[in-house]
Amino acid sequence: GACSVSMSMTEIRAGFTAIKANIQSRDPIRTLSILSHPCSLHKVKSSDRCCITHQLFTFYVDKVFKHCRTEDSFVNRKISSIANSFLSVRRKLEQCREKNKCVCGEESTEKFKQILANYEGLNVTSAAMKSLGELDILLDWMEKS
Amino acid sequence: GDSLLPAPQSISVLSTNMKHFLTWSPVIIQGATVRYSVEFQGEYEREYANGSWIPISECSLTTATVCNITEDISASVAYRLRVRAELGATRSQWGTTKGFFNRATTSLTPPLLRVVADGHHLLVELADMGPSFQFRVLYWRKGQESRVQQRMMKEVSSVVHLDTMEAGAEYCVKAQTHVQAINRSSSFSPTQCVRGQGDTSLWL
Repeated sequence: GACSVSMSMTEIRAGFTAIKANIQSRDPIRTLSILSHPCSLHKVKSSDRCCITHQLFTFYVDKVFKHCRTEDSFVNRKISSIANSFLSVRRKLEQCREKNKCVCGEESTEKFKQILANYEGLNVTSAAMKSLGELDILLDWMEKS
Repeated sequence: GDSLLPAPQSISVLSTNMKHFLTWSPVIIQGATVRYSVEFQGEYEREYANGSWIPISECSLTTATVCNITEDISASVAYRLRVRAELGATRSQWGTTKGFFNRATTSLTPPLLRVVADGHHLLVELADMGPSFQFRVLYWRKGQESRVQQRMMKEVSSVVHLDTMEAGAEYCVKAQTHVQAINRSSSFSPTQCVRGQGDTSLWL
């Protein structure tokens, strides 16, 4: 069967919306995208959705949030709330993987490689801040399908 | 200096209906106003951010011995909290919660509801409990307990019409809350029964 994970998207989106302008203002490179270039999250097969979601949550937990600490206490608190929510959801996705309900196909592997390449093309702080600023792209994609 | 001031004691989290408060015992220094500062640490900070702590600005240098941590405890993971006393430049050691706090352990109370018979209409009004809450309302005609009907409700800003009652019949209602974020429900509220308006007999 499919992997079904209950997550409080509303809370994550509320946390992100509260800091989105602040985070995006720290991203000077407007011509590049981590998640959307060239078309990474578009046209993902439904069979690959779970795997890409798990890979992206792991990407944010392992690589992004830790490089987004700011001088603003409010922003740091919201980043913590998002990071801990991502950690909670990733744990549920991992349970799906352990039951072989979150299989990675070739397409999702290729798409995730592209995202990592986009990320590693920038210096780590810029890449992390840009990735965090694009969180609504991920949330929209997750809610759309 | 950080030595002479004792650390706050009896630090604990009180959590009801997804509202979480950190409380501690006051540090008493004769003739002085002691202030406190609170920080939190989620599982993410422990495992991925070198065990860092994050200050809660609303509870920095506060004289209160309670801090509303609801906004920061916004994921279903294990959190730790700590508080220290401050008097001028002197700071105590941190006092830290024993063990962890996960919001999944919040205590859930039954919803407050008001059942109204408006003529033949069975209406219910529920007290709003915040965005995390849904309500499961059960209602039935008295004597027909096997034919219970259910309504799930999210927005409870106004009175809700449940059913049109048969003349003079008695209907009963009870409700419980459900919090999707932690996948738990409260116990049911006490049952409330009302009688619909009887038929007005026409004298011809």
